[in-house]
Amino acid sequence: MINPLQKKILMLALLAGEILLKSGSEIYRVEDTVIKLCKAFRIPYAEVFATTTGIFISLDSGDEALPHTLIRRIKGTGTDLAKISAINSISRELAFSDTEETGSLIEESIRRLEAIRQAPPYRLPVQMLGAAMIASFFTLMLGGVWQDFACALLIGVCSYGFSLFLQHIKLNPYIRYFMACALTAFLSILALRFGPGENLNAIIIGGIMIFLPGLAITNAVRDSLAGDLLAGSARALDAALIAATIAAGVGMVLALWVLAGGVLR
Amino acid sequence: MILLQFIYSFFATFGFCLIFHVPFRHIVPASLIGAFGWAAYQYLLWLDVSAVLACFMGACVVGVLSEIFCRLFKEASLIFIIPGILPLVPGAGMYNTMLSLMTEDMLVTSKIATETLLMAGGIAMAILLVSSISRMITYIVVPSDTGDHQ
Repeated sequence: MINPLQKKILMLALLAGEILLKSGSEIYRVEDTVIKLCKAFRIPYAEVFATTTGIFISLDSGDEALPHTLIRRIKGTGTDLAKISAINSISRELAFSDTEETGSLIEESIRRLEAIRQAPPYRLPVQMLGAAMIASFFTLMLGGVWQDFACALLIGVCSYGFSLFLQHIKLNPYIRYFMACALTAFLSILALRFGPGENLNAIIIGGIMIFLPGLAITNAVRDSLAGDLLAGSARALDAALIAATIAAGVGMVLALWVLAGGVLR
Repeated sequence: MILLQFIYSFFATFGFCLIFHVPFRHIVPASLIGAFGWAAYQYLLWLDVSAVLACFMGACVVGVLSEIFCRLFKEASLIFIIPGILPLVPGAGMYNTMLSLMTEDMLVTSKIATETLLMAGGIAMAILLVSSISRMITYIVVPSDTGDHQ
């Protein structure tokens, strides 16, 4: 069997891969990081296979002993670019370090990875500010006036907060996008009807920009390019589904609005 | 006009950086990338270039700047590409497709839908082109460096 030290290395590599995948990394970066970590700790043979939903790692000590394989199912993904950045710098550091004190270095690396895993994203008010900035400035970019800017600011905060709440109660992500975008459209209509809003289209588009699948589109291409066709097509499907649910959410509310006698444009 | 659009998209990308937790020290460069991409897109539209080509070129600007910045800061290029590309993602096209679908004018719908799809495809092609060229250059400059994907 594999010795306790190698088991620790396996856990270390797996932890790094898991954090990367959950933060929205490309597949090749996950596989590359895992291999790099194993090589840094002188594992003679390591092989890894990752998809968007799982990591498989196999280690062999090179002697008569049996190889060791671990599978980790990855559930739930988000986007946290700071975690990707932090793990990138750790793996770069370890790859260039001379590992004399292997035991203590592994302990320390695991501690650092745990710290990264538990590092929170930006605080809630800051994220809300981000959502407000996206919605309001996109409204301006699409030809809104300053009244639209003010409406979109509030709508961005409300719909993003609603979406975070739905995420908190573990609703299916597609339903979450659907409901958040329906809320965006609903509030936009309210802003137009009872508030100072002028351009319905600009406000709504500003609001849904927050939820667009930019990560999925980018990673679909980058994964496919790196030869991870499975992950690439999974992400392309994800992007298409998100886009469809966003359109459906907005469309449903607008259709109801028209049915109720409202006017578009 | 373009300058105004540049400033707006700078702040919009700044918002994406806050949501996606871009490390604090990289927020301004990432926002600049988004702003340059959008400004290029708007400038090309102003020159009467088709929306698809403008989107492709805008995404190319984002990709090239991201590859430069990620080597400058020794970071993953993903950190700059993802916030930078988002202003170009055709949310407006998607919305207009849906809107024209509701008026049941299939001719207009298919026109807008095709253009939206092509714009998304243009972004994908631009990312593909830039990342593969940058990988090629990395390989030519540092041939031993085969594993270190940026």
